[in-house]
Amino acid sequence: MSYVAIKGGTDAINASKRLFEKRIQPEKQLPEKDLLTTLPHSCDRIIAEGALYSDALAVKALLRSGGDLLEAAFYLRAHRSTCRRAGIAKEINSDDIRITRRISSAFKDIDGGQILGPSCDYIIRLFQVQSSDGGKISDIAKTSVIRAPSALNNLRDRDMVLLLENTEGEAVDVSRQFPLPPYPRSALMQVMSRGETGSMLAFAYTSMRGYGDVHPTIGDLRTGMAAISFTHPFTDGKVKIGEIRTTFCETVGSFQRDPKDGKLRLSNGFGFCLGHNETRAISMSILDLAIHNQGYSMGGADIAANPEIIINHIDGIESMGFTNHFKLPHYVTFQADLHVLDKARSSCSD
Amino acid sequence: MIKRVFAFIDEDAKKEIRRNLLKAVAIPGYIVPFSSREMPVARGWGTGGLQISLSLLQEDDCIKVTDQGCDGSVNAVNIRDFITSVSGVKATVNTRDATIIQTRHRIPEHPLTEDQILVFQVPYPEVLTMVEPDMAKQKQIHADSDYSKLWVLLYEDTSQYGDSRISNRYPVEINSHYMMDPSPIPKYDIARLNNSPALQLFGAGREKRLYAIPPYTRVTPLKFNDRPFIVEDFKGKSCKRCGAEGIFLDEIHTTGSVHYFCSDTEFCDNKLKEAKDAIER
Repeated sequence: MSYVAIKGGTDAINASKRLFEKRIQPEKQLPEKDLLTTLPHSCDRIIAEGALYSDALAVKALLRSGGDLLEAAFYLRAHRSTCRRAGIAKEINSDDIRITRRISSAFKDIDGGQILGPSCDYIIRLFQVQSSDGGKISDIAKTSVIRAPSALNNLRDRDMVLLLENTEGEAVDVSRQFPLPPYPRSALMQVMSRGETGSMLAFAYTSMRGYGDVHPTIGDLRTGMAAISFTHPFTDGKVKIGEIRTTFCETVGSFQRDPKDGKLRLSNGFGFCLGHNETRAISMSILDLAIHNQGYSMGGADIAANPEIIINHIDGIESMGFTNHFKLPHYVTFQADLHVLDKARSSCSD
Repeated sequence: MIKRVFAFIDEDAKKEIRRNLLKAVAIPGYIVPFSSREMPVARGWGTGGLQISLSLLQEDDCIKVTDQGCDGSVNAVNIRDFITSVSGVKATVNTRDATIIQTRHRIPEHPLTEDQILVFQVPYPEVLTMVEPDMAKQKQIHADSDYSKLWVLLYEDTSQYGDSRISNRYPVEINSHYMMDPSPIPKYDIARLNNSPALQLFGAGREKRLYAIPPYTRVTPLKFNDRPFIVEDFKGKSCKRCGAEGIFLDEIHTTGSVHYFCSDTEFCDNKLKEAKDAIER
């Protein structure tokens, strides 16, 4: 009878790490610059969920994790903890971004036009090689800088859109201070903007198919490049420090009685993320709509409208970590469980 | 591009954690929210404890990391290696030599001193989670100090099963005020939280909460006056390896037989070494 081999873990751990490295074959890996251009959606997801806009680090993380996007986002988040915050950038207005794609399903004719841009929405998912028809891409798409106001501005001008009251002074930064309930909208929005795509999609989906009241219409969905400006530390002037890929989505929900004046107005929700990820921006706008506007829930449990559920359960880094922690030894607690079971069993058989 | 920082976390974050720890110490058992940075270790793997350890660490500290009473356990090895690699501080398995001890699911057997800090890794910081999952309501319950839901749970368990069904993470009252989750330590260790000379800090990274039991604080398990608090029973059993009695033992079931070993392997090794030294003398 030998002593149980819980000791001597170091060698086994190191061997496991080496095996993982070997498995992803670093010597055969594609050049980093090619990954960014050929797998842009993977990189954008890593950037958004990792909450750090860095193409270079996203690509590194993608390689290190063997293509596991949750793991890759985790690398970025961890790196974030070593960085001091330099300051707060100026607000971005979604009307000002340089558009690469922009659609509205609410209105056919919109100011600035429907711009389909690059999208896989219209592709038939067949493995047979389908060459494009060889048609020309208009020069406008290739060369001009397109900007357009939100397609919902028209409704706003007609005073038909409900504007939520802003009770917050400065926006919360959950990476500095995680708020206690009741949760400010800015905190929820930040958590959602870095939430895990699949989790947000699932919660938004519950709301649209019965356990909630959100039947949204996409008012304005756009991807493009947003300019980031910053206050110069020495001159105090506003300087543009670069452009980032972004996705914005505004959805329209049911009409509500506006608490300000009792008039009926349309509710709307807002979604945003770093990188191009439309599914995620739409999901976020639906969750925002559900949480901040009273619905007429049909399914009973309106989980997507519960800020407590959303703010605590959509972060991929957290839910993945905790789910995997169950692989850690639980010898002591499980033994204690069995002790209690034994006691309860003997108590019940008395 | 990637700059190295002492003890990994940026200095502003460390400062924030230390300030929140001071608040936690000042209000024993009170749960303090903090921002909780992401660590390169996954959430749920000790990131709360890790952030506390890293923010307290100084160059002359000596760190011990243990998991389920064993410093050789996978998670303990990983966290210890990480801490030493980003800070350069000394590491030890010896409880007596450590200034900061990060632990998961156990309190080391060797009695702690005033010069030591015990850092617990916490999965569920809120003792009320099992009776009230809503955070806003939990806040209210603590403010009112109205723990009737916990008492009802205890009553139901006692009436049906003869005792509480809670085997670990047993609710404790701190300094006759807040009810607190002591992390998943067994009941044997619950009694050892009481009046400890060492500062005991608790960190839940995923849930973004910190709390503390200052040295020499009264810690009492949730229990009716006329019912004893029964801890795991190892009477008449001893460690098959070192012969120790009256400590927490691991039960090892092999075909047809049960063997017992010290759960705290450092304690076991030390006991063996002392016996060997005595023979050599």
